[in-house]
Amino acid sequence: MHIENYLNVINACRFCFMCRHLDPVGNVTFREADTPRGRALMCDRIRMDAANLSNADYIDAFYRSAMSAANRFHCVSDYDETGLVLAVRRDIVEADLAPAAVKALAKTLEKDTFSVKGKGRVLYFGPTPELYKGCAVITGGDPGKALAVLGFEAASKKVFTRFKKAVTDSGCKTLIVAEPSAFEFLHDRLPGVKVIHSAAYFVEQGMNKTGSRKAVYLESDFLKNTCGNPSAPRDLLKQLGYKLVPFGTNVEESYAVGEGAVVYDTLYPALAERLCQRVYDLAEGLGKTRFITASQTVKDTLKKYNPAFDVITLEEAVALSQD
Amino acid sequence: MTPKNYLYEMIRSELTWVVGDEHVQANEADNLGHSIDYYWVPECWHDRGERPTPPDLVVYPGNTQEVAAILKIANTHKIPVTPWGGGSGSQGGALPVYGGIVLDMKRMNKVIEIDPVTMCVTAEAGINAQHLEWEVEKAGFSTMHLPASISCATLGGFIAHRGTGVLSTKYGKIEDMIMSLEVVTPTGEIINTLPVPRHASGPSLTELFLGSEGTLGVVTKAVMKIHPIPAARKFHAYLFETMHDAMVAGSQLMISRMRPAVIRLYDEASTARIIKRVLNIDRKGAYLVFGFDGPEKIVDLEMEEACKICEKTSKEDLGTEAGQSWWKNRYKFFYPPYMFQLPQAFGTLDTVATFANIENVYWAMKNVVKENFPQAAFIGHFSHWYDWGCMLYARFIIDEPPKDPNEAVALYNRIWDMAIRAAIREGGVINEHHGVGLKLGRIMRDLYGPAFNVLESLKKVLDPNNIMNPGKMGFPGKGV
Ligand SMILES: Cc1cc2nc3c(=O)[nH]c(=O)nc-3n(C[C@H](O)[C@H](O)[C@H](O)COP(=O)(O)OP(=O)(O)OC[C@H]3O[C@@H](n4cnc5c(N)ncnc54)[C@H](O)[C@@H]3O)c2cc1C
Ligand code: SF4
Repeated sequence: MHIENYLNVINACRFCFMCRHLDPVGNVTFREADTPRGRALMCDRIRMDAANLSNADYIDAFYRSAMSAANRFHCVSDYDETGLVLAVRRDIVEADLAPAAVKALAKTLEKDTFSVKGKGRVLYFGPTPELYKGCAVITGGDPGKALAVLGFEAASKKVFTRFKKAVTDSGCKTLIVAEPSAFEFLHDRLPGVKVIHSAAYFVEQGMNKTGSRKAVYLESDFLKNTCGNPSAPRDLLKQLGYKLVPFGTNVEESYAVGEGAVVYDTLYPALAERLCQRVYDLAEGLGKTRFITASQTVKDTLKKYNPAFDVITLEEAVALSQD
Repeated sequence: MTPKNYLYEMIRSELTWVVGDEHVQANEADNLGHSIDYYWVPECWHDRGERPTPPDLVVYPGNTQEVAAILKIANTHKIPVTPWGGGSGSQGGALPVYGGIVLDMKRMNKVIEIDPVTMCVTAEAGINAQHLEWEVEKAGFSTMHLPASISCATLGGFIAHRGTGVLSTKYGKIEDMIMSLEVVTPTGEIINTLPVPRHASGPSLTELFLGSEGTLGVVTKAVMKIHPIPAARKFHAYLFETMHDAMVAGSQLMISRMRPAVIRLYDEASTARIIKRVLNIDRKGAYLVFGFDGPEKIVDLEMEEACKICEKTSKEDLGTEAGQSWWKNRYKFFYPPYMFQLPQAFGTLDTVATFANIENVYWAMKNVVKENFPQAAFIGHFSHWYDWGCMLYARFIIDEPPKDPNEAVALYNRIWDMAIRAAIREGGVINEHHGVGLKLGRIMRDLYGPAFNVLESLKKVLDPNNIMNPGKMGFPGKGV
């Protein structure tokens, strides 16, 4: 079983309470099963007796996790609790025990294909190609990250192979990626291709300051917790003239409304809404502050449950500066 | 309650009517988490493939009225109710040993008011202590309640166990921090204790519920003191030849009536084992660290005086950096792998005593463990200091306890029985902040003598059907 590669995490987390305060789902459901300890205890039961893998309550709890990696970011020993959840999801999928909704979603994701439009030395992958003059554009769905997160490793590899072929065929040696989940997935998987996040690309270009406005940069789970917390998004916003204000009560908790689980809102809309509600509640008192996120998915989720919420993506911030 | 019978479904419907469908859970994922707290015994059972008793139902109240309604239902049906905060208690206090209802308080997590005039915060009892501290800090203050389990435990849990934070020597234990409480009594009455903690209007009801571990009612709200953020907080560490030399210095700091925010003294064994591992300070002797906070000028003056005291008997001045490093890493001691871990057997023999007795308590426990359990290591540090004495945070550790869970638990209990009784004989009190729970209930009568009858009578009056956390704190188990 894949969880056996995470025995150190199971052993550490199963009786540890030290990061429970940072689990975004646990913080809205208040359930013991929605903490790293709760999940590690379940994995431990599965380790002891594989029959427990088919426990529907356990399976639901594993898929309910927002996988923000805030817990690992906090942990003084960097135990990879998110990796453990990924591993158990793979075990669930390989035993054909994934919930029907997860399977149906995976079937759709498996169909994603990719094509490249335009010519150039640099390739762009994301929702705002018009910002990248002179770049070729790769379009299609998710490059395999969503399937990987759901535990469909083989299917993820197939989709990624199609993505990789499209990149290789384009001849481009640089790939700019906008969505943090895709960036995290791709950044070390394309030998010979330099993968950069769109924020880093714009910072390198140098942006013009176009006014000054207070904004909250809503940290990305992927960029902050798994990609070394690059300063580019914040640097970019500063270049654009935004005055960044702190948000929430602390710098560790994830306010990224399920970004780490990539397709969270599709599978658990009621929980996604509660994650959003937490952000709306914390935003009260900040007045007309704009929220800026690196992720289109995060933006869409926040807008879905409160269309009036003032949130834009980093790319939209750049576009606004060019208007 | 037996799941899936008529009565079970009826009670479940009654509870659902009060809190809503989503807030009554009976699923295996949650039951697993609620059947194991930070007590070594359920952890050991789990580790060995056993299944500690789960609750029949986990109920998440959203407000005080819901708590009251739940307790009324439980009284009608005489169902045990076990409050659960963060589950981080080490005494098995939150374990539903008779099944029944686990009342998970975490949904009651709101900060109701921060009052900068009186300098207090009113919060619901289920709030995570770190979340509370963050909210108070955001308003420019601090609760100064900074225990190692700040991220694990709830305000109500700390109240229930008389918890202690790292800065207790200056800012007090939780009982010194609480102004007043809202409590739901076992029969479902909502009561408030008097709004100020110092008065002459009879005995303190607040004190009655502080440390009552969910046996006398459910704490639903608390008003707690808050403090300004100090301009300076500084630390200094010394090494002493022996623990005794360090104890002399530490007690001198206290009896000269200085107000350090923290003093911590590690015996020779924990200096060699823990201080080396966590702080990378590799020395033979006893490590002592202290810190002061407040206006910088005053802190500097206090530091100077405290250093003078330590210099009289210390072996080495480790400096401010070795003190600062302790502060920076103060929680690191509690994360895996720095913390002891199953399959090891370990227990914290938390005891508090006067300066006249504390070293005798230490030696009595150490000798009992050494003589009777040669397989166990014994280490200790002195954590929370008062102007009359301090707390001994002693630990026994067995690297390879018996494989058979029953044998392992029997050995574990024997060590507790012998070590704690040895401590009591030397004037030690169990304990300073971990509480009694399931683990030490059997020792309460020895500790209190006839005075325990008073506590028992109070329990009987307040909880006639013995629904509240039966079998804990030395009170009777299921059945009246
Ligand atoms: C790593 C670690 C470090 C620790 N360090 C410290 C420390 O520095 N200082 C310290 O004091 N403790 C420490 N502890 C112990 C623990 O955190 C405390 O005992 C804490 O008070 C438990 O709070 P909880 O919310 O987790 O309560 P739980 O464990 O859930 O419950 C403890 C008891 O309180 C009762 N209870 C809970 N909520 C309520 C309520 N609202 N009303 C009535 N009864 C209630 C329960 O029924 C139970 O009897 C540590 C624990 C861990 C895991
Ligand atoms: S990730 Fe680290 S802090 Fe969190 S439960 Fe695991 S060991 Fe504890």
